[in-house]
Parts: sequence; structure tokens; C-alpha cells
Amino acid sequence: MERASSSNSDAFGLLGLPAQFDLESSAIEQAFFDRSKELHPDRFASAPAAERVAALSKSRALNDAYQILKKPVARAEYLLAQAGIKIGENERIADTAFLMRVLELREELAEARVAKETALIERLCNDMKARRKDVVESLSALFDRKDLGAIKDQLIVLRYLDRYLEECDAALDDED
Amino acid sequence: MLLQISEPGQSTIKEACKPRVVGIDLGTTNSLVAHVEDAAPVVLGEDPMVPSVVYYDGDGVQVGRAAQGHAVSSPRETLSSVKRLIGRGLKDVASVRSMIPYELVGDDRAIRIKVGSKEVSPVEVSAEILKELKSRAEKQLGGPIEGAVITVPAYFDDAQRQATRDAGRLAGLEVMRLMAEPTAAAVAYGLDRGSKGTYAVFDLGGGTFDISILKLVDGVFEVKATGGDSALGGDDLDRAIAAKLFGSSSDPQAIAQAIVTARALKEALTAVPVATVEGATLNRDDLRALAQPLLDKTGKACRRVLKDAELEKTDLDGVILVGGSTRSPVVRDYVRELFGKEPLCDLDPDQVVALGAAVQADVLAGGEQKVVLLDVVPLSLGVEMMGGVVEKLIHRNTTIPCGATETFTTYADNQTGFDIHVLQGERETADACRSLARFQLKGIPPMIAGMARIEITYLVDADGLLKVNAKELTTGNEAHVEVKPSYGLTDEEVERMLMESFEYAEEDLAKRNLATERVEAERILSATRQAFATDTELLTADVRAAGETAMDALAKAMAGDDHLAIRHAVEALDLATKPFAQARMNRAVEAGFLGKTVEEVEAAAAHGDAHKHEAHATGGPR
Repeated sequence: MERASSSNSDAFGLLGLPAQFDLESSAIEQAFFDRSKELHPDRFASAPAAERVAALSKSRALNDAYQILKKPVARAEYLLAQAGIKIGENERIADTAFLMRVLELREELAEARVAKETALIERLCNDMKARRKDVVESLSALFDRKDLGAIKDQLIVLRYLDRYLEECDAALDDED
Repeated sequence: MLLQISEPGQSTIKEACKPRVVGIDLGTTNSLVAHVEDAAPVVLGEDPMVPSVVYYDGDGVQVGRAAQGHAVSSPRETLSSVKRLIGRGLKDVASVRSMIPYELVGDDRAIRIKVGSKEVSPVEVSAEILKELKSRAEKQLGGPIEGAVITVPAYFDDAQRQATRDAGRLAGLEVMRLMAEPTAAAVAYGLDRGSKGTYAVFDLGGGTFDISILKLVDGVFEVKATGGDSALGGDDLDRAIAAKLFGSSSDPQAIAQAIVTARALKEALTAVPVATVEGATLNRDDLRALAQPLLDKTGKACRRVLKDAELEKTDLDGVILVGGSTRSPVVRDYVRELFGKEPLCDLDPDQVVALGAAVQADVLAGGEQKVVLLDVVPLSLGVEMMGGVVEKLIHRNTTIPCGATETFTTYADNQTGFDIHVLQGERETADACRSLARFQLKGIPPMIAGMARIEITYLVDADGLLKVNAKELTTGNEAHVEVKPSYGLTDEEVERMLMESFEYAEEDLAKRNLATERVEAERILSATRQAFATDTELLTADVRAAGETAMDALAKAMAGDDHLAIRHAVEALDLATKPFAQARMNRAVEAGFLGKTVEEVEAAAAHGDAHKHEAHATGGPR
């Protein structure tokens, strides 16, 4: 899925952050809070109409930027897009071993779901979360090496993992 | 002609030194109004809880305790819990319908209530409650109320929020902001107790349940995630008790009596382990068993919202209880067990929402702002794609105000119209989500499938209200909606009711019109100036001169107070700059057919708009 957010021309700039992958989530949050204190529409409630409209759109741009930057994967995709590399909706990777493994895991999950084996579903879900965490952490080194091709591959891998995690959620929702 | 995004709901609060403003908690069971006095919020009235009940006695209406007295003798004319019906259609309320003693009519788009020989909408009934609160506040504060913040359940969708705003307008209130109830409660708590950290607000009212997780730091309260059920509350427990003790009935008087008794029993059990009312007996264990299905639903919503916030329950610094239903020990025990900590209830759970709303009203009227509130969209907003699947443009828990733009394309050769179906909800298919609006973008030039570029923009404002714009990029054809008609009242209906309402003074309407026209004029002026500056080469001397004259005239009209004069000056400016607008459009279209790159066409068609667009060629919405 490709998305052009309303004003994300420079998400990092809006938050006053360096355009890099490695950012502490607390630093992003702090930057967002600081900027919000200046830009929030409530601060302009009794300002002239034109100013109110401007504040609203600035605040919107800030919130959109935060939405992109606060999540590491979205941040990585954004950096990659800025470098001119887009990931298409149905982009695949050539690693057949990986694809086979995902397929197997999905079957296992589907069976566990039918059999209502909550413990197994939870284990599959936690395994995948751990795996996802490893992949996200690996992005840092790839960004250091500026290996854009490898970053792209890992981001596609993450899409598979996220889709799997969505299925886990759906399976756990059945149980709830 | 000039494509710019205008903002809906411009507030028209006067810039007086200290406007008289209030915060209103419009509840399912009870409503309250509060006001900031000497920097601290207080609820107004000796008996601040006004039962959200309206009795129609033929000629007039009674509201509150006076109306409540008619519940059993005139069940069909005594309307309670209408908050459950607001912004909803008949099929949405099928599950509770059998236990409502008054008669519901209308359709799946909007509910009406048949009272005697006439029909009223839930918006009108809510407006009666708001009018009562307004008149109380006016009496106590000694003058007209100039603005109000009205709270809504965090989990209310767009249609329910719009309908609530309409009720405010209908009551003659200037609605400065719709505010989420748990956020209002957090404001009252945070400011009163100086709380810092991450808190869950568990808000179980008469008919709605919200669970929000907020981070409270110096100067900022951020909603991390919100969830809930806008049709779940203490009312359901009353109905469950009534059904268990008295069985089902088709006699409205019997239903009304059973519910009154059930509620009295439930409330009595807050203080004692066994209660007897009107010969019926219930103990706390029975109550617990009856409440369990309801509590399990709240538990599920709590787990989901923790997951959305990416937190464990051990990360929470506290759980705040809000809403009358949290007075029940059965509910408190459940919350304590669910979160593994003693819930906070040291502020009155019935008053805390109104108090927070009063603080926010004071801030919006120019009072001291101690914290900035960052609230979120409760439910994802999307558009229907080919095959009935939903493409989400804005995800739930995105901080508001926010926006998103995506580009779609046609799926058939020579398709000249493009249907846009706006949806809200988390489900994957359109029929499982709430339909907010449908509209059509017409006049797309015939092209082969996949060539047209239709850009759809969703904008959510600080009230959480959505506005949708769509434009076809090669021609600049634009259509936009402020999402609202599907479920609530149409704009025309609201206007008509406003005109009929004698409480709504004519001069107020004139002021409102003037403000609206000024905002629109401001928008057009700045757009025109910008276009004149960026596309100078398309501007002939004649058109420039005519445009400048028309702009001067408009600026002059804006300084006056005749809204029609402003509108006419806007129309005159439109007319004067038409050749220029035409030239810009032509250039855009030509560029498309001369095989220029898509980016160039977009740059031209978007009138120098700074957005960057991306192809999204997966076959557009139907």
C-alpha cells in the first residue's frame, strides 16, 4: 500500500529531528510534545480565522509526521522513500526458503485456530513477535552501511511478518 | 475554482474579555453543566445532576426530574437514554429495542421517536436537555452562555459526533469543541491531583463504555489509544435485571416500571449486599452474575486498547474510574482484578467529565492553558475499493487533527464518474463498517482504465469530525463532502429546525452567517493571491486588473457586516478570474494529452499545491 500523507514533505524537519533511522522513541515523543505545545489548534482558538486555519493545517502536518516517525518500520519506509525507493503493494522477495517457512507457519496457525489451541496460538504469536523484533533491530546496522537494497528486502519481510501477526490477533480474538 | 482546503466549523466566539462559557456532560442517564470560577471548575446547580429525560406533554416539554416523574404513567411520552439512539439507524439498535418503552420509527439511516401525533429525532430530544442545562447556567451565571464544550464518548463515530454537535446548535449553543469523555476526566484528575504518568481511564456510563490510555506529562496530555463500545452501559444491566425478575413484556407501562425497579435495586446494592424494592429482591451475587457478560465485554476492550498502546497493565501508574456505573462494587472489583491495582475514584465519577469540559471551555475562551490535549481518532476511516474491501486512509488512534491523501484510479475504460463511499470501522469489508457518506466525482474525461488519477483527501479536525475532498488530477474537477448526511440529520433539516426554534435569535444567525462568509472569503482571497503569484504567465493584463479590482471589493465587503455583500463579492471575484482558472485547467489537461510526465500534470493540476502524490493503481473504489 502506498500512501502520500497530507503534508509529510519533511517529517523529520517538522519535528526538528535529524533525518536518520536511529532515534530514541522517547526523543521523538519529546520533540512531538514540544512542537504540539506551540502548534495545537487550542492555542489559536481565539485567533483570527486565517491564523486558526493555518494552525490547524500545521498541527495536522505535525501529527502526520509523528505518526510516520514514531514507528520504526514506518520511519524506515519513509527514509527509503526519500531516497527514491518505494515498496509496491504486492512486492515479493526471491527468498523461497523464507516464503516456504512463512507458509508453513501460517498453516500451523490456521490448524491451531480451527482446533482452538490457545496456548499454541500464543506461542506462535510470541515467536513471531520475537522474530519481528530481531528484524527491526537489524535495520539499524543496514542503515549504517547505507545498504538500501537490503533494507528494502527486510521491509518486505516485515510485511509478511506483520500480516502473520494480524492473523494471530484474529485467532486470539476468536478465543476472547 | 481554486483548489484549497477549507476548514469546517469555524468557531465564532466573540473576543470579549471573559466570555461566559461552560462544559457540558451530555450523559445517557444524567447530564451536568460546569463552569470555571476563580481558576477552578465547579458544577452548576444545587442538584447538579439533571436526569437525561424529556417528557412531551402535548404542547410543551419537561426535562430532568420533572420529566422522570412521568416515566411509569406515560412511558411512550417520556424519553430516556436517547443518547443510545443519536446518530444511529434502526438496525443499529435492534438489540435494545424490545426494552425501550417508547416507540421507535424512522429507518436504517436515522431513528425517529413517535410521541403522540408527532415524530421527534434523538437530536431534538438531546437539544431539549441541552437547553435545560443552558438555561440553568444562564440563570446562575447571570447572562447568556457564549460557548460550550460538549463531551462525547471517546468511541463515538463520526455520525454520532456530528449528531451531538447538531443537538448543540439546535439548543442555541455555540459548540466550541466536542471533547472525549475520558479525556475530560483525565484533565480534571490531572490538574486537580497533579498526576503524572500513564493512566487508564475506565468510563462506564449509563449507555456507553470507553477505555482510554493517556500519558500525562508536563504541559501535555496525550491519548495513546482508545477503545470501547458506544452501546454498552449500566442501562444494559438494568434491562438484564428487569428481564430476570419480571420476564419480557410488550406492555410499555410494565417495561417502564420493571426498569425503574431494576435500577433502584442495582443502586441499592452499591451500599448493601441484599436489597428489596417494590417486593422484588436481589443480592450482590445475582447482580455479579447478571453483570458478568457486560463486564467481560469491557475486559476485552481493555486488553485490546493496552495492545494498541503497546503497553502491559504493569506499565500503568493508575486506573481512573469515571461514570455512574463505576460506583457499583461489582464493577470496582472487576476493574481491580483486571488491572491488578486499586482503581482511583477520589473525584466524583459523575461530575469529573463535566469539570474537565469546563476547564477546556475556559482554555478555548482565552483562559490560561495549563495543558495541551492530544486526542485521537477512535475508529479507522477508509474508502470502499473494488470488490467491497476497505482501504484505510486514517488508522484508529491517530492523533487529531490529522489528514491523509491517496490517489486512486478508474477500473473501466471511459469511466466518467467515480463513486466514493466513506466508511468508518476496523473490519475489512464495507458492509461490516459504518457507512458515513457516499458521493460521486463526475466529469472525468474518457480515458483508458487506470489512466485517471483521483486524489482523495481525508481531513479530521480537532473535534474528531471528518471532511472528505476528491479531485480528478488531470482536469482539476473537485467534489467534496463534509461527512454527515448518512445517519444524522441533513444540514437542511438542522437549518429548518434552527429557524423554527424561537430560542434562536435572528441576530445570532446573522452573526454566524457573517463569520462563515468571512472565513470563506478569506480562503478565496488567499488562494487567488497565491495563484496570481505562481502562474503569472497565464494571466492577461485585463484579467489581472479585473481580478485586483474584485479582490479590493471583496476586502472592503469583508470589513462590513453584511454577509450577503461578502458572498456577492466572492461570486464577482470568481467571475472575474474565470478566464485565468480556465487557462490553468486547460494547461493541466493539455499536459496530460501531450504525454508529459504524470508529475508535471499533477504539479499543474494541483495549482502549485505542495503535496506529493503517489500512484495507487490497484483499481479504484467502485
